Formats: sequence, structure tokens, C-alpha cells
Amino acid sequence: MSTASSTHNDAAAWSVEMSAIAQRQDRDSFMRIYDHFMPRLCLYLRGVGAVESVAEELAQEALLRLWQNAAGYDPAKSAVSTWLFRIARNLHIDHGRRRDNQAASRGELDDSSWCTDAEVTEDQVDQAGLQRRIDELSAVQARLIRMSYFEAKSHQEIAGELDMPLGTVKSHLRRAFERLQQELGEGA
Amino acid sequence: MTPRHHLDSSTIIGHASGALSPELSAIVATHLEGCAECRQAMSHAERVGGLLVDQQQSATGGMSRHDRLRDAMLKRLEQAAAPVRPAEPVEPSRDPDRLPAPLHPYFGSSYRALKWRWMGPGMRYIRTTGPSGGTLLMLKIAAGKHMPMHSHGGTEITQILRGAYDDDLGHFAAGDVADLDSEVTHQPVTSAGVECICVAALDAPLRFPGWFARKLQPIFGI
Repeated sequence: MSTASSTHNDAAAWSVEMSAIAQRQDRDSFMRIYDHFMPRLCLYLRGVGAVESVAEELAQEALLRLWQNAAGYDPAKSAVSTWLFRIARNLHIDHGRRRDNQAASRGELDDSSWCTDAEVTEDQVDQAGLQRRIDELSAVQARLIRMSYFEAKSHQEIAGELDMPLGTVKSHLRRAFERLQQELGEGA
Repeated sequence: MTPRHHLDSSTIIGHASGALSPELSAIVATHLEGCAECRQAMSHAERVGGLLVDQQQSATGGMSRHDRLRDAMLKRLEQAAAPVRPAEPVEPSRDPDRLPAPLHPYFGSSYRALKWRWMGPGMRYIRTTGPSGGTLLMLKIAAGKHMPMHSHGGTEITQILRGAYDDDLGHFAAGDVADLDSEVTHQPVTSAGVECICVAALDAPLRFPGWFARKLQPIFGI
């Protein structure tokens, strides 16, 4: 598991690689990002239910979009890991809906562009603090957060699986998220 | 207008992690269009997702597989166009007749073209079933009307599109979201002077306790 400081350094390092991709289509920079994130994205996609070949296909697609959209990348808006997570998740949802012949889309802005919402920012310096807060969650909070993100389980499914009332699942998640949202630096 | 009623944190996590039904997601996305505070929270939840992905131990399933994929990616870079600066995002439309984009797959794009059905004096509705079997319900309630008292078997998320209503939880105006779970029983009353249009997603049948409401239940079919 990464330590807080290496996560912080990674986030800054990935931004430098992104600038190199944006300014001079630097393939070596891109492949360093690729080598780090490709196996992790595959693991994530397997976790939320994709079979191995689909997980690989979707992870490749997510990384290709990173290359194609590098010019619009603004490190003040989102970390590379955030952006890849968002794209991989949406590709997985869309893949599931196409498979089930569901026409309805997720109904969000075109997600192959970076977050361009002027009011939404993500301070890179806080990556380390956020990482520490994730590490400090209680065992039950950490488990519920992991089941939400890595198994994409609905709150009802989690409640059923853990034999826990739905209201309790929600209040644990609510408290976990409030902890993760607290002003970084506070109580750290 | 700045919304005063926001999404529950557990809903934010559900949407960020892709675990909400498409029906609930459509209402969440509708609220996000008009709520910077919830967009910021969503961005934070996605950032948590990114960090969780990043911190996984990468048990590489054999280098040969990785090398093969790596070669395939290098070939795709050859063929892919050079990185381009993306076009500016399209602002949400200011046309007052236009429904929020996340609702278009279910209700079309125009308020004027909505095909309302009669439900009672001063009450109209449109009900549709989403791709995962959840219900999407749009309601148009005349000013000053009492809605039937109801509670929820599961989750209900309601976005107020026009007008306003009051219930025990407060005053809900256009742009606000009521993100409720099964513990809540409420009876909204629409505000005077203007009709209220709201859209709700439900992932379980409503439970109407009263005789009048029970009569309505077969009409809703929910």
C-alpha cells in the first residue's frame, strides 16, 4: 500500500508527465502512466464485475482517452487518478447498458474531456492528506467504502450481504464521507 | 438560484462509485446540473475512487500479457490523432422549455411536449419504467394542493424542477433535491401561486397509508 507521501509525490509526478504528453506528445511519459495505471484499472474493473477481456479492453480505452485529451488537462482541476477512475467507471457502466440493450445514457457531460467545471477544484497538495484520512477510517467504514467502490454494490446489496439495516449502512457511509471531506489539515 | 436542499452523502458515494440504478442516477445528474456544492462533493467522491484505484497492489497477471497489451497500446497511439484541446463544454440550455438533459431519455426534451395524465383535481403525472425496472415519476401539482401522505419502501430522490412545496422537512424550491429513505413519511403541500413540477426516482414501491392514497396506488402502479 502506498504511503501518504509517495501518493503526494506520485500525483505531482503524473502532472509533469501529463504536461509532457500535452506539449510534445511524449510517448515515454505516457507509457510511464500506462505501466502504473493499466494493471490497477484492470483490477478495479474486474472488481466491479467485468470479465478479464472486457476489463482489459475498457482499461486500454480509458488510457487512450487520456492520451487524446491530454491537451485539456489542468492539474488544479483533477488528479490523473481521479480522471482515470471517472472514465473507467463510465466506460464500465456504458458497456453494461449496451450489453443489456439499455439506450439510456448516464446523462452527464461528455466525459472524455477533463473536468471543466470552474467551481470544482481539487488541490493536489491535499492528495497526501486525503490518503491519510482513507487509511484512518474505522474498519467498518473502510469495508463499506471498499464495497461501494470496488464491487459497485448498492446500499441495499451491502445491507443484505452484511446483515446490517439499510439505515446503518447509509449512516456509516455518510460519516465516512464526512470524515474524508473535512478540511484537510484539520486533526491530521 | 442556489439550492438549499442537497444530496445525501451516501447517495454521492453511490453515484460516484457507479452503484446507483440508472433511474436514481438520472435524478442525481439532474440535480448536479444546477448545484455547484453537490458537484464539488461528487468530485471529492471521485477523487477518493481514484486514490483507492491507485493504492491497490497491482498483482500483474503475467508480464507477457502486459507486454502484449502494451504493444497494442503503442500501435493505437500511432493511429490515434495527436492530442487536441477539447472544445469548450456546452452550457446547459437556458431555454425555459427545455428539460434537463439527464431526463431526455425518459421524458423527452420539452416541457410543452410532455403528455400528462390525470390523477386527481389539480394533479397530473407521467410515469415511466427505467432500464433497471425502477420507476421514474414526474408530477405536476397545482398551487396550494396537499399531496397524499406517503412513506417509502426504499430510496426516493425527488428533484424540484418548477415551483415549490413544503413538508415536515422544510421548504423545497426549484433546484432543490429531496433525498429520502424508508424512515421518512411526508405529506408535501405545494406553495401558493405557482404549480409545482417535480421528478422522482423510486427504487421500491411507495407505501400509502391512507384510504385516499390507497386508491391512488393502482393508478400509479407503483
